[in-house]
Amino acid sequence: MNLIGKRRWWYAISAVMIVPGVISLFVYGLKLGIDFNSGELLVAQGTVSLSQAQSAATGLGLQDLQVVPAGGGQTQIRYRDPAVQSQHEPDHQKLKAALAREGFDELSFSSIGPTVSATIARNAIVSLIVVSAAIVLYIAFAFRNAPPPVSPWSFGFMAIAALLHDALFVLGVFSLLGHFAGVEVDSLFVTAILTVIGFSVHDTIVVFDRIRENLRRDRGTFEVVVNNSILETMARSINTSLTVLLTLLALFLFGGESIRLFVLALLIGIASGTYSSIFNASPLLVTWHNRKLKKLEKQRLVAKKA
Amino acid sequence: MSVRLKFIAILVLAAVTAILAMPREDVVLDKIPGLKHAKLSVKQGLDLQGGAQLVFQADLSKTPSDQRDNAMDSLVTVMTKRANIGGTQEVTVQRQGSNRVSISLPGIKDVNQAINQIGKTADLTFVTVNAQTGAEAPTNIDGKDVDSATADYDPTKEQPDVVLKLKSGDSTKKFSDLTTQLSQSGNLLLTLLDGQPTFGPAKTEPITDGTAILTGNLNITQARQIADEITAGALPVPVTLVEQQTIGPTLGRESVQHSVVAGAIGLGVVALFMLMYYRLAGALAVLALAIYTCITLTLYKLSALIPGYTIVLTLAGIAGFILSIGMAVDANILIFERMKEELRAGKSFVAATEAAFDRAWTSIRDSNVSTLITCVILFMTSSATPIIRGFAVTLGLGVIVSMFTAVVVTRTLLRITIRQSWGRHIGWYGVRMPVAEPKKPATTPNKEATA
Repeated sequence: MNLIGKRRWWYAISAVMIVPGVISLFVYGLKLGIDFNSGELLVAQGTVSLSQAQSAATGLGLQDLQVVPAGGGQTQIRYRDPAVQSQHEPDHQKLKAALAREGFDELSFSSIGPTVSATIARNAIVSLIVVSAAIVLYIAFAFRNAPPPVSPWSFGFMAIAALLHDALFVLGVFSLLGHFAGVEVDSLFVTAILTVIGFSVHDTIVVFDRIRENLRRDRGTFEVVVNNSILETMARSINTSLTVLLTLLALFLFGGESIRLFVLALLIGIASGTYSSIFNASPLLVTWHNRKLKKLEKQRLVAKKA
Repeated sequence: MSVRLKFIAILVLAAVTAILAMPREDVVLDKIPGLKHAKLSVKQGLDLQGGAQLVFQADLSKTPSDQRDNAMDSLVTVMTKRANIGGTQEVTVQRQGSNRVSISLPGIKDVNQAINQIGKTADLTFVTVNAQTGAEAPTNIDGKDVDSATADYDPTKEQPDVVLKLKSGDSTKKFSDLTTQLSQSGNLLLTLLDGQPTFGPAKTEPITDGTAILTGNLNITQARQIADEITAGALPVPVTLVEQQTIGPTLGRESVQHSVVAGAIGLGVVALFMLMYYRLAGALAVLALAIYTCITLTLYKLSALIPGYTIVLTLAGIAGFILSIGMAVDANILIFERMKEELRAGKSFVAATEAAFDRAWTSIRDSNVSTLITCVILFMTSSATPIIRGFAVTLGLGVIVSMFTAVVVTRTLLRITIRQSWGRHIGWYGVRMPVAEPKKPATTPNKEATA
């Protein structure tokens, strides 16, 4: 099977998967939850309508009152309390009591102030950058004595290309979900992205490791070596992803409401990670390598002419 | 260590951790002298057991920068005292970053009261009031001079009061001087709490023994609350509530049930898959996975004995644990796929096993290190988000333990198995292409095993 020969197809499939989400990301952005945006979030048991929530909140002066069905017969009520912080809990108690009179019990409540949400957002960005940088460095280090023709750094950067693929895919899907289904992203979502990144690299490294091993044995051209390495590790890649996806699927179906979106992000991210490690990371090594060869060829031609 | 010795060590480890990981390990522990009543259990986070988490931010703008650290430390101390008042629940108060304190109150009912009780500055001050002019003058006595306060009931006046016990020595002397002077001049004493007149203004007798009885228009609940506040002491810096999470007890209970069900189903499906695909090797992997689960649960429970290093299991933490099971399986899959390849290439069982572990090791190491890097960075950047920290800890621990079980436990089990005659059927490892063991087709397996 020649996977590398069809690499343009694989890139095209990736583009089809990613581009809509990326466009949505630019146009709609992500719907930020109270973790990043501050505000109040009350989860109630039962299906609360907007008018019911509004009547429960009468006289409390709450702003941006929104009602989002959360699945499992639960409802998320989001609002922003403009009053001073010490008034938030009394306001919340009144809202809770009013909802309880309508027959909706409170399951959970969170209130996050602007300073806290700023810290959370900053930490999220810092950790994304630091994780990516640390992984490039680690891969370059782990592959420091990889035999030519590929430099250790290109292994690192192709792994980053693959993880960007996965992160963008998940971000795009959640941007679309945010726009069309009101799904918000919270700090758990950042955790999911970081885990997907870790897993994507985990998957990619296994294939790279095989490429390195086969390069040492020197079997054929670079393209052939990469192709064989992918095929040899294919069973492992698919089986590993299957087991992880199966455990995640169990969590998604039976794990309860509070982490369902978190698990969904992991599910699609890890599926994407398996695809990118097989069909993107290693083919990209070949594309990169060929481009470099062409450049060298050109330079040689120029040198000859001169 | 010989393979046999390792095998025995693994059996012992499996037995011990299996007992400790059981839900009712106390039944066994109680039978061992010295360990009776050793409380061993996985500590659950607020999202699992229900309760409230409060985060207060201190206003350090008026505190000199070299004293901020001290101010935060004493803030934590005072808040811990206040949060623990009258409660038997395990309250945790932690400093978060440079200027925040996070408090988790498991199983709390009245969050509003807790917020008021903990966040109040409780600054006790005494003021003298001129009986004629009503002019107020400050004194040199405040909350720092007070040792403790208790609520009491005065049967003659038929009303509750607060009994103040001043610190011995200088504080008692200052109070004695003040009250003596006041009783001579006929002026009044006013006691303020957070700037609010709470007791008095009232006439006073000379108090020389450091025990003052404060009466005011209070009911017994208020008297108790004020006494508690005074005893816990004033907050060294003003604070505001910046974050609050409340999780109802039903939600927590449901979450635990759901996660246990999901975890069991996930584990079951993975075990089934491994058995079907890798047959005998799969069975060994499932065994290793069971040992992995026991070791991890035991570590969770043991960590609860070390304050400060306790692994608090949250919902995200459970997801991290379940995800790490997937990673634990990955190491086994890497090894088994490699073993199948080597067997197909015609290697003997012993050679194929050793080659599989040697070759798979770099992949296992490099891929797990990249996950560990992610966990470490998540841990370092998550002081404000305990949910993420819980995930990073369980996933990271899972990755480390899974490397151990794959490389030590699975390897030893596999080595022991291929020594047995029944353990050397190529078809039992999911290898499709039947290849006879080269050069040794005639030897009887039993002899080989004992050799």
